[in-house]
Amino acid sequence: MEGFLGGLAILVDPWVMLMVFLGTVLGIFVGALPGISGSTTIALMLPMTIAMGPIPAICFLGAIYCAANFGGSITAIMVNAPGDPSASATALEGYKMAEKGQAGLALGMSAVSSAIGGIFSIFVLIIAAPLLARAAYSFGPPEYFALAVFGLSMCAAIGGDSAVKNLIAAALGVLLATIGMDLTTGTERFAFGIDELADGIKFVPVLIGLFAVGEMLDQVVRRAEKAKIIAMDAARVPGMAEFRKCNRSIWLGSVIGTFIGALPALGATTAALIGYNETRRWSKHKEEFGKGSIEGVAGPEAANNAAVGGSMVPTLALGIPGSATTAIILAGLIVQGVRPGPHLFTEQPTLLYAVFASMLAANLFYLGLGLYMAKFFARISLVPPAILWPSVFVLSIIGAYGPDQSMGDVVIMLIAGVVGFLFRRTGFSPAPLIMGLVLGGKMEETLKQSLIIFGDDVSLFATRPIAMTLLAITAVGLLWPLFSRLWRLRVAPR
Amino acid sequence: MSFITSRRSLARLGLGAGALLAAPRLTRAQAAFPERMIEVVTHAGVGGGTDITARMMMVQAAGEFKQELVVVNRTAGSGAQALQYLASKPADGHTIILVTQTHLLTQIRNRNVPQFADLVPLVRATDDPQLVLVRRDSPFRTAADLVAAGKQRSLRFGGTHVGGVDHIAIFSFGRAAGLQQPTLVPFRGGGEIVINLVGGNTDSALVNPAEAESQLRSGELRPLLALSEKRLPGFPDLPTAKESGIDCVASTVRGFCVLKGTPEDRVARLEQGLVRAMSGPIFKTYLENTGQSPDSVVGRAEWGAQLQAFHESGREALQALGLLR
Amino acid sequence: MRRARNPNHAIAATIAVVALCAIAATFTFEPVPPGLPGLGAVEFPRLVSGILLALALVLGLTAASPPTEEEVPRVSGQAWVIFALCLGFLPLVDMIGMIPAIPIFLLVVGRLWGGTAWPSLLLSALGMGIGIWIVFVKIFRLTLPKGWLGTMLGL
Repeated sequence: MEGFLGGLAILVDPWVMLMVFLGTVLGIFVGALPGISGSTTIALMLPMTIAMGPIPAICFLGAIYCAANFGGSITAIMVNAPGDPSASATALEGYKMAEKGQAGLALGMSAVSSAIGGIFSIFVLIIAAPLLARAAYSFGPPEYFALAVFGLSMCAAIGGDSAVKNLIAAALGVLLATIGMDLTTGTERFAFGIDELADGIKFVPVLIGLFAVGEMLDQVVRRAEKAKIIAMDAARVPGMAEFRKCNRSIWLGSVIGTFIGALPALGATTAALIGYNETRRWSKHKEEFGKGSIEGVAGPEAANNAAVGGSMVPTLALGIPGSATTAIILAGLIVQGVRPGPHLFTEQPTLLYAVFASMLAANLFYLGLGLYMAKFFARISLVPPAILWPSVFVLSIIGAYGPDQSMGDVVIMLIAGVVGFLFRRTGFSPAPLIMGLVLGGKMEETLKQSLIIFGDDVSLFATRPIAMTLLAITAVGLLWPLFSRLWRLRVAPR
Repeated sequence: MSFITSRRSLARLGLGAGALLAAPRLTRAQAAFPERMIEVVTHAGVGGGTDITARMMMVQAAGEFKQELVVVNRTAGSGAQALQYLASKPADGHTIILVTQTHLLTQIRNRNVPQFADLVPLVRATDDPQLVLVRRDSPFRTAADLVAAGKQRSLRFGGTHVGGVDHIAIFSFGRAAGLQQPTLVPFRGGGEIVINLVGGNTDSALVNPAEAESQLRSGELRPLLALSEKRLPGFPDLPTAKESGIDCVASTVRGFCVLKGTPEDRVARLEQGLVRAMSGPIFKTYLENTGQSPDSVVGRAEWGAQLQAFHESGREALQALGLLR
Repeated sequence: MRRARNPNHAIAATIAVVALCAIAATFTFEPVPPGLPGLGAVEFPRLVSGILLALALVLGLTAASPPTEEEVPRVSGQAWVIFALCLGFLPLVDMIGMIPAIPIFLLVVGRLWGGTAWPSLLLSALGMGIGIWIVFVKIFRLTLPKGWLGTMLGL
């Protein structure tokens, strides 16, 4: 408690608060910009923070992390270009809303649900970090395999109207994930001697291509008909009615995001996708999904920001990074001489609570900024298309090139762009493909790891209670619609 | 402690600057090298451990060379693209590469990239010895238990991908200790290796102390051996493998090289400048805080010898594992 | 509204070709080193490709409602020109570098797109180029391709 109050005390330190504010603004900016992610920014800022001293430095980096995750949703909603991979689930419904002229609603809901998800996960972090961190040890390859199967099991229902097309897209995604060096055999697959492929398909170029470039190419074709701008409503931000509608999605997303974020091998992108799945599964308005559902924005946004707090759990409590970004934050902590681990909670509680307090502050800052700026961001849809879409193309090129400075990634992005364009014209949805790409690779890898651990004896899966429970839930989830239909058939004649 | 080190290295920095001032003729003779920005090529993405090493070096190197330094990340192909980028630049010392064991393995397996003989070692930046770890309730109380069990059955070791640096180290350890060939359980990175060791999915693992710092402190993992030449300062009671009769050393090393054909005076200038930059307080603190060996930074003689030794043992191990064609 | 022909057969055929190519490619993989436990490198991709092939078959047999003209507008000649320009962006970058290529691309494509006057196109194109240069090159110090020209000028 004393530590907690000591930590809160930093909130009145103007120097620290200035750092948190700057970090938040910077985070929103780089998060929204394809090509510079939160993790890149944190890595580039790391040497600069050395001189700051541990608390301002960590508060600054933590604020960038929190805000960048939210920032990614801005470009996802406005121009269908997820600024961060974790915002791709947001683009699915958010951009559809912007097309309907509801950009302000989507942006506002994204800010609110992001902040609630983020704050929820920080409170979980404060209360249960050491406890939750133990769960990481119980999750080995068999458990992750079951979780990946659970995530993938929904892909027939998510996306377009045709289940067969959704499954095809998902299978393509899984196939895409097998490109590159196979972790468990060291064999290069589908690489054809190209270095960029040998490392596996990266998410960023594929996502930017599928979403942003695919949309841009589609806009080229629809140039003539785009005269009708439905922007009258664009600046309206959500009110009580919308929040009431999304209440359930936000809490569902927050819980899922915190848990998945806390698992070191999965990150915000997976959290957002599973958050999207489950939001749809439990929604009362399933028919709105795929056509611009506000719940479909709230769920994944809450989930990917909750994953931020979640991924700090293993980082702080075990010294094991919960995501690519926390790996760099961890490096930042270590460079500052802070050694994360369970002892941090007893030995340096002030520092720890200062981190929590600054993350809370960052969440509140971007909530305020996000709601305030939503009106202005929404005006992006008023930019003449002849300026907007070519600029989106250029930013997509830099977005694919930026993270690894590779022209090969740009080529991959352009190919994904053509696929995205063809998908739009043939009634496929990118959603199942992304699920296949993100979860399929994990599924194969963890299955093979499990078999090595089990000495090729599949029956040993039965000795893993968590894995079996997850697989059972998956089976129930898949069979439930079937059963309920049978039941209705039996009952109906009466 | 850290205060004293930084004071001492500050003094050394001052001495270095003094030496530069005292030798104006030398500076003039070498004309203006470096005359423009120096590029540091790495195979790590922005924020990777190797990338951070480069950036930590750069903090003080810019002042040392009176020139800007910039990191160029060429991630594809496990170092292949980084090596090719280096080869695409003139051998004038303005492009240096951050080399790890991964590059050497890539060179052995891929003839199309600049080979080990095409590189001139400059300076080692970090040297991070590995420990043999088991979990708290493991039946192996000592290294002898582990070795005895390993002779009966194939032990499962967590490591990175097949054919990677960990695989080679595990193979070499197993052979030096006379074990049945260990089974590699491949994971993505040190965090997963540690978690699965604690979680009981593997029997043992070779891990850098910093990666398992928290678990070692809380006692969830126990070190059995240090795979270093000398006992580690952080683990004075831990025997080295060599003391226990297992002739095996394994450590994660990173250091700088330039392309062959770079003029000798420039190689010397780069070596001297980099050593000085990395003896500064910022890099020292970085080494200390990340638990890496404080005498990581060595000149080209020692660094070259270490690379040469790994080049040979790596080739041998890849051959024995059937990974070389 | 003209009804387009049912495209499902063409889509299914394309998917089937992709799946068959993938299966064929698995036979070119280097053999897995001996003595490794667990699943090999080829089984999983073959399984997924097989499923893909089966799904393509199902799609080919299902008669989905054909899309209307409104859903799939035709690609006009001018659209093809813009596509070609997008593709031409990469060689342009190779030649003159990323930063100079950006305003040129924005200006030309923006002009072809139509509906916006020269001055505002020019201003936004220059602004975009300069903005990207400031953010990516000056502030974040990422190296963007300099192209043949940049190398010649020794930048």
